[in-house]
Amino acid sequence: MTGADLPDVVRQHWPFQPRFARTNGWRMHYVDQGVGDPVVLLHGNPTWGYLYRDFVAPLTSAGYRVIIPDMIGFGLSEKPTREHAHSLDGHIANLTALLRGLDLRRVTLVCHDWGGPTGLGFALSNIARMRALVLMSTWAWPLPPAEFHTRIFPWRTMHAPLLGPYLLGRHNALASRGVYLSVVDRERFRERAQAAYEAVLPDAASRLLTWTWPRWIPLDASARAFERFVWLERELSTCTLPSLLIWGREDDVFDPSVFVARLRQLLPHAEGPHLVTGRHFLQEDSGPEIAAHIVDFLRRVT
Amino acid sequence: MTTVVPQPSLDGKRLAFVLAEDRLGHYPEFRMFFVRAFDLDRVGLTRPGYVQTPSGAVYALIFIGRSGEAFPSGLEIHAVVPALEPFDETAVDRDLWSILRWMIEGIGGDWTTNAMEATGRLFRIPASMDADRSPS
Repeated sequence: MTGADLPDVVRQHWPFQPRFARTNGWRMHYVDQGVGDPVVLLHGNPTWGYLYRDFVAPLTSAGYRVIIPDMIGFGLSEKPTREHAHSLDGHIANLTALLRGLDLRRVTLVCHDWGGPTGLGFALSNIARMRALVLMSTWAWPLPPAEFHTRIFPWRTMHAPLLGPYLLGRHNALASRGVYLSVVDRERFRERAQAAYEAVLPDAASRLLTWTWPRWIPLDASARAFERFVWLERELSTCTLPSLLIWGREDDVFDPSVFVARLRQLLPHAEGPHLVTGRHFLQEDSGPEIAAHIVDFLRRVT
Repeated sequence: MTTVVPQPSLDGKRLAFVLAEDRLGHYPEFRMFFVRAFDLDRVGLTRPGYVQTPSGAVYALIFIGRSGEAFPSGLEIHAVVPALEPFDETAVDRDLWSILRWMIEGIGGDWTTNAMEATGRLFRIPASMDADRSPS
C-alpha cells in the first residue's frame, strides 16, 4: 500500500504526504510535517501512524516538526512475511536508521505500546540526539509482566502456536475486534477509525507481526528479549531526560496503578501521570487532550 | 472429533496450503504434542502427518526443521483437495478450528478448549459459534 489506496474515510483524516525511506534493509513509511524541534510519535501493535492523526495539527501549530513512522510490519511500511524477520533489536535498528538518516537532533519521542521498548532502545543508545520522552501505556523492564499478559484467556490463547496465525492472521482479530475492545467510545471508533487499522492489514500474511509481537513480551527469564529489557530498565533508571507520563484511566492492559508506579520509580523526575479517558489505545479516545498535554510539556522543557 | 489417519491416496489430489506456524515451540507443550501425536522423534522429516476432521476432510501436517532449534520448529497445514478444484474457504475455516480444538485437547494442562472457545467467541470467529452446535 502507498496511502493512495486507503479508504476515503481514512484519507479524510490522514491527508499527509507519504514518505518512504530505506531503513536497515526495509522500506519504511513515515510522515514529516511542520518545522521546528522534532517530535517523533511511535505506535505499537497492531496500529500505525493513523493513531496519531489528531496530534499533527496541534504540534505543528505549536512550532514542532512531527515525524510519524510506521513500524516495519505495520501501516504502509513493508511487511516481512517471515517471522524470523522480526526482533526487538531489529526494530530498534529500523527506527535508528530512520532517525539517523533524517539526522534528527533535540528529539522528543512519544512512545506507546511496542513504541516504548523500540523508541527507548533508540533514545537510550542515542542520548545525544534526545531532548525529552513522553510515555503512554508501555513498559521497559523484563519482569514482572502485566497480569493481562499472563492470562490464558484471552491473551496467551490469542497468540499461541497455530492459534495466532488462525485468529490474528486469517481473522485479523487484533486489528479489528481487539482494538475495538480496547477503546472507551467503541461506536465512535467503529465509525472513524476501525477501517484504517483493518485496511492496512488486508491479508493473513500481512498480519504476521500482530501475533509475533505478543510472543516477544517476557513472561519469564527464558524470553528472547529478556537481556534487552534488562538493559532498557537499567539505562532508563539512569536517564535524566525531561519525561512525561500519560495514561488511560480505563487501561486494563497496562494497569496504571502498576505501570505508572514502576515508571515513576525508574524516572522519579517524570511529570504526571496525566490520566485521560482511554483504555490501551488512549489516543483514540483522547487524542486532542493528549496532544495539548504534550505541547504544554514541551513549551516548558524545550 | 479430529483424528490422526494414515496417508490417504493422493491420486487426483493436491495439497492446498491453508495455515502456517513458524514457531511451534513458542510454548514448548505445543511442539511436544505434535511429537507425541505423530511419533516425530522416530519419524522425523520422512513423511507428513494426516488428520481427518468431522466433516470428513483430510489435512496434511507438514513439519518444518530449522537449524539449531528442536524439531519440529514449524508446521504447515495443507488441505487434501481435488487437484483442479478451488476449495470451500468456509469449510476449511471450520475444519481448522476443529484441528486446533483437537490440538488444545491433546496439550491439556493450562490450555483448555473452554478458553479457546471463549477466545473465539470474544473475537467473533464464525467457527467458534458453530462449535457450540456441533461436535469437534
